[in-house]
Amino acid sequence: MIRFEQVSKVYSNGVKGLDNVTLDIEQGEFVAIIGLSGAGKSTLLRSINRMHSITGGTLTVDGVDVTKLKGKELRKFRRKIGMIFQSFNLITRTTVINNVLTSRVPDLPWWRSLLGIYRREDKIAALEALDKVGILDKAYSRVDQLSGGQQQRVALARTLAQNPSIILADEPVAALDPVTARQVMDDFRHINREMKITVIINIHHVDLALDYADRVIGIRAGKIVYDGPASQVDDKVLSSIYNGEEYGKMEAAQ
Amino acid sequence: MNERIAAQLNAEKSPLLKRLLLAAVILALLIWSSVGIRSTSAVGNGMAVAGSIVRGILTPDLSFLFDFTSQGVPYLLLETVCIAFMGTLVGAVIAIPFAFLGAANIVPKGIALISRLVVMAIRTIPSFVYGLMFIRVTGPGAFAGLMTMSLCSVGMVSKMYIESIEDLDKKILESLDAAGCTFFQKIRYGILPQLLPDFASTVIYRFDMNLRDATVLGLVGAGGIGAPLIFAMNSYRWNEVGSILIGLIVLILVIEVFSTRIRNKLVRG
Amino acid sequence: MKNRTITLANGKTVEQPKSHALLILVLVLAALAVSVHVTGFQLSVLIRGGYRFFDILKQMVPPDISYLDKVWGPLFDTIKMSVLGSAAGAVLAVPFSVIASSNIVKNRVVISIVRIFYSIVRTLPTLVTALIATYIFGLGTFAGTIAIGVFTFSYVGKLLYEQIETVDMGAYEAMEALGATRFHAFLYSVIPQILPGYISNCLFCFEGNVRYAAILGYVGAGGLGLIINEKVGWREYDKVGMILLTLFGAVVVIEFVSHQIRKKLT
Repeated sequence: MIRFEQVSKVYSNGVKGLDNVTLDIEQGEFVAIIGLSGAGKSTLLRSINRMHSITGGTLTVDGVDVTKLKGKELRKFRRKIGMIFQSFNLITRTTVINNVLTSRVPDLPWWRSLLGIYRREDKIAALEALDKVGILDKAYSRVDQLSGGQQQRVALARTLAQNPSIILADEPVAALDPVTARQVMDDFRHINREMKITVIINIHHVDLALDYADRVIGIRAGKIVYDGPASQVDDKVLSSIYNGEEYGKMEAAQ
Repeated sequence: MNERIAAQLNAEKSPLLKRLLLAAVILALLIWSSVGIRSTSAVGNGMAVAGSIVRGILTPDLSFLFDFTSQGVPYLLLETVCIAFMGTLVGAVIAIPFAFLGAANIVPKGIALISRLVVMAIRTIPSFVYGLMFIRVTGPGAFAGLMTMSLCSVGMVSKMYIESIEDLDKKILESLDAAGCTFFQKIRYGILPQLLPDFASTVIYRFDMNLRDATVLGLVGAGGIGAPLIFAMNSYRWNEVGSILIGLIVLILVIEVFSTRIRNKLVRG
Repeated sequence: MKNRTITLANGKTVEQPKSHALLILVLVLAALAVSVHVTGFQLSVLIRGGYRFFDILKQMVPPDISYLDKVWGPLFDTIKMSVLGSAAGAVLAVPFSVIASSNIVKNRVVISIVRIFYSIVRTLPTLVTALIATYIFGLGTFAGTIAIGVFTFSYVGKLLYEQIETVDMGAYEAMEALGATRFHAFLYSVIPQILPGYISNCLFCFEGNVRYAAILGYVGAGGLGLIINEKVGWREYDKVGMILLTLFGAVVVIEFVSHQIRKKLT
């Protein structure tokens, strides 16, 4: 379980990334975070595996206080959390399987990681991860010969090969065309349901968020302005996330 | 005419003046440079010499060309290839620190500039001067030749390394970080796989060039096919020159075909 | 060698293509062994005697400033050789490269002949060209100019026809479609596309030529090489140092200017 308790993040230039955020995410949830660019979506996501450090409050993942982690402990903690990026972040000049295998590197003995000689079990794990996202036949192709959608699946397989219990995805489909974007979202749903992995996605396609996620978190200027089931998101909620006017009136009425 | 169109028309500077100026500069440069060009002998005599050179090259000394002892063309070519191979390799290693110190995305600008100036200085010293310096270390022969070649390669190789380093995609490091990799692992799995194909391609390209430049080493007795070639030319044995040149040209062409293929595979996959 | 197969838990199998890495490693190591043997390379000699490399270098410092007056002439000779040789070679390469381009000339035979010609000229070491030129045209800067020209011709020429082949012919067709002659179409649609790259390549080649021209004097082809050779022979290394310092300065200035122009072009 991921638990945010009054978490704040103030950047060194004084900008508030997160403002008193409190929320719980249970294991196995499929959560979409929506909001304007710069609203704090990325900060929220990246604070979970401490790619960004928070400046106030407490943030625990499965009971572990994230803010206290350092060095080796932090790296070990990150092994449980997979991360997917908008720009895929693959080494395009090498084969698909070599990219997937990089996520196994931290668990290798030092001499193996120096020479880049993987164990058979690592290769099998990598291939099985590729099979789960449906590109097993591309295992030995070079990444630069794949389409954008296929490349994002390689990135997904790379994350799966580290057996994570949580996957954080930062705008995973922003660089893809609408059809491919849906295919990749299907993969996320599949992984979430079959393997009970928590999936947390930053996304600016509202329709995709509503179609795929069980729970939607709307964020505006670092504050959570909506947190509830995707099915209850309506125009009012959306304009509160993206305009902020309607929501204010609603509060006043209550 | 519409007012806005007229304004746009006037806004464009006259290209004629600019082009005339450019043409004048180029012309002046060419005239200046052709004034000083001189040569000592009459061209009439030269044509006779040219004829005998062509005749010699077209009727090469076949026994020399297919002499498989250590005096023949095949062994001399092998020696040249070996010098070029070792020279390129040593140069490729020497170039690595210069490249990292010269990459503006890794070190502060000042250090990068200094490193680039040092590399430029290394490039400026002519090869035969290096030859003389190394002969004091290793004695005359192929060893001195390969060391000379390595220093002559440093300039271009480090320049091309720098380009690859400055093109590095750093986003990959972010994902390795998120997967829990150490600093060392990030370099091994994030940086090296990006650099190695480029570096290898650079080294192979330079090997091609070094094979061509290997004749220069003959000037200072630093091994390879250069010395016999220059010796044969100085004593007007054009048949021998012919067999050496034919051997050299065939060798270079064959190696170029292979190296181009390997480099294409490295870069495009 | 057989491809290895990996079987997954769900019964699917994947053929692992055989890796050439081991083969390449063995080949490179073998080549290394042969080369070390043939060239007599010994790291220990370098470590023990490496300091002697700096013997001559140390004698070059401080350079003999008073000698500077005598350096200007040969330096300008070298630069002149490079300018004229580069210009001549680059201009001569244009017609040859046009008929070596497969999108302009449709005759495979012509294309192949010109390209093979380019390849052979490119294999000729510049020093050999210079030496031959001194036999034909006599000692002096003219021979050096010829050698530089021949090298530039082959270098710029190859890049030029590769560049012409990647030109977008759409503009050319559009010009023809609106009634221009083929010559006019070429002039106004193809040339603007290749001109910046061509000039940039010429300048780059010129930068390298200045350095190369300094060597050519060694075989009597005029320029700085001539006096370097002379001073090295007399062991007046402080004068050699002065010559090299001047050359370095000239190269830095030329590269800077040329680099600025090339930046503007692309």
